Amino acid sequence: MDFALLHDAFWGLTFDGIALGAIYALISLGYTLVYGVLRLINFAHSEVFMIGTFAALVAASGIMGVKVEDDPRTGVKMVLTLLVCLIAAMLASAITAVLVEIVAYRRLRQRGATKLATLISAIGVSISLVEAFRIMTHSLPREFPRIMDKTFLFSYAGADIRNDKVIVIIAAGIMMFALERFISKSRLGKGIRAVSMDENTATLMGVNINRVITVTFFAGGLMAGAAAFFYILVYENTSFKVGFFLGISAFTAAVLGGIGNLKGALFGGFALGLMETWSSAVFGTAWKAVISFIILVLVLLIKPTGLFGESIQQARV
Amino acid sequence: MLTPAITLSASLSRDTRTGKALHMKKNRVLAVVAAVAIATSSFVAFAPSASAACSGKLKIAYQGPLTGPEAALGINELNGVKFALKKFLDTNKSANVDPVVYEVDDQGDPAVAGPIAPKVAAEECVVALVGPAYSGASKVSLPIYLSAGLPIITPSATNPTLPTFGKTIFHRAVLTDDYQGPAAARLITSHVKNAAVFLVNDASDYAVGLQKTVDITLAGRVAGKDVTPTGTTDFSATIAKIKKSKANAVFYSGYFSQAAVFVKQLRDSGSKIVFASGDGTLDNQFVKLARKAAEGALLTAPAIPFETASPKLAAEMVKAGWTPGVYTTESFDAANFFLEAIKAGNTDRASINKYVSTKSSKGLSKTLKFDADGEVSGADVNGFVIKNGKIVLLGAIKA
Repeated sequence: MDFALLHDAFWGLTFDGIALGAIYALISLGYTLVYGVLRLINFAHSEVFMIGTFAALVAASGIMGVKVEDDPRTGVKMVLTLLVCLIAAMLASAITAVLVEIVAYRRLRQRGATKLATLISAIGVSISLVEAFRIMTHSLPREFPRIMDKTFLFSYAGADIRNDKVIVIIAAGIMMFALERFISKSRLGKGIRAVSMDENTATLMGVNINRVITVTFFAGGLMAGAAAFFYILVYENTSFKVGFFLGISAFTAAVLGGIGNLKGALFGGFALGLMETWSSAVFGTAWKAVISFIILVLVLLIKPTGLFGESIQQARV
Repeated sequence: MLTPAITLSASLSRDTRTGKALHMKKNRVLAVVAAVAIATSSFVAFAPSASAACSGKLKIAYQGPLTGPEAALGINELNGVKFALKKFLDTNKSANVDPVVYEVDDQGDPAVAGPIAPKVAAEECVVALVGPAYSGASKVSLPIYLSAGLPIITPSATNPTLPTFGKTIFHRAVLTDDYQGPAAARLITSHVKNAAVFLVNDASDYAVGLQKTVDITLAGRVAGKDVTPTGTTDFSATIAKIKKSKANAVFYSGYFSQAAVFVKQLRDSGSKIVFASGDGTLDNQFVKLARKAAEGALLTAPAIPFETASPKLAAEMVKAGWTPGVYTTESFDAANFFLEAIKAGNTDRASINKYVSTKSSKGLSKTLKFDADGEVSGADVNGFVIKNGKIVLLGAIKA
């Protein structure tokens, strides 16, 4: 155990943990939104994320003509390239999420299938997507070109603050804020909350359930797509199995905060990112999953519905 | 992983509600036990006997990762076997050998290798196997091949403990990590003044074994250690440790796909310390994925590039449509040894095993002559450096 490292490099580790946590939080929002509305774990959500990373890759090389061996871009060209990749990732993930709902869930739901049937359908979609991408990429990881030069903006208490991670944290914050506004203020957002409270009553009040569900998947997909772009911006590589570990982490984050609860997902994401980074420093990287899951179990023992309670209406977002 | 737990808890909660449901559960448990028993017995029945005879053409098998993130290495090796087979059949047209290599894709993963090894062993026409490529996959495959009497020559599994798993059927065409580790340590200390080395491994059998020998040779020069299991994407904490340890070199024990992610994050963190790694990283894919971050990386391998061993054959191989890479030479040599055994009139597993265990074969990399443990002697561990995006041979690492 190396508590001295945690002490000495605390701010650096914390900064890295927050950047990682922002990515977890964005993905976990998708799990939580769908659970809040349908009481269903969307197991294909990790692949919604994976497709976002590949969309960013295709947008960079296909639309913006960036080559892997190119030098990083600067000025307006760089900002434009980054934005195009971000939008491509968000749209690709959102459309995938909506398609997954239509193909794998809608009919089962309308026919009154059990939750287990839907769950298996979700896992089926997940495996199909992973295998399809495995075959298309010849099982090899893909590198993402460096669009923006990575530089240190400043140093604080021994922590080197790097530009790409700052962008991730700020942009993720903006997106989470926009989603929160959308859910609490917009008409469709109110519809989402109404369905999550009571589906039958919401229907009687004239809420179009199918539309609400489509919007829910779309919003979750947008967040996963943003997470995909931020992930690939920082780590600069992806593969067909990229969604697996991140998906489990994000799902854990959602449960930790209280699945179905937006604030819970956000808190859970950041908490997990920090826990993983800190525990890696203290106990060694091999132990980070062990420590994170022990903390998850402990939290659930004390508060079985997660830190913030289980549903969207409980948090009164 | 999450599903079974969820389904199980769902069925349990239902069962506790009524006694009837519990009774049903017992039946269901019995049914599951019966199903597992049937599956196991059929699996055992499937296990082959060593005496099965082949009625068709003899097959040479290759086992290694042909898909999955480590596929590049497996394809290098498979190409070597294919080229050896083609050359052999070009000169021995009447030989009773299948011109197609029997491909066994274990993805370099012990969990994948476990279920497929019995199927390979049951193919009676498979009389010899080049591989398995990886140490972890070898540990689960070798006992199965041993019971089926299938002789193997691995071109690249370098974990020193493998002879205990394969016993009489095990042969290895390269030096083990017992040699590679110390050589890697010497390569680092000869390139870095007052070396203080931080050791990172990916928790695989190969990586742990290799790191151990590097560790022993470096002794007092080890500045710190961390384990980053396969699948790790964020190395922030490891890099923080490296910086705090004041190491001036890092040795990464593991495979290229994760090594590339690691070295990139190391360089992005502003660290300029020497990066060194073993044969798991010696792959053009590593250079491709890590790009500028790979520059200057020091690598070792108990292997010799095909182009260096024989420029003429390398050119011929490229012309035939196969690109040589790391361990192509050793795979080519291993396949040739088996083919020489067949040419000498050996047509079953037992006699081929006896031939390769007792005779010798002059290969491109070295003369293959195995000792009682199936280990080869008289080989070198080579050093490499990545320069301008190319893997450049530094030559044999002197003791």
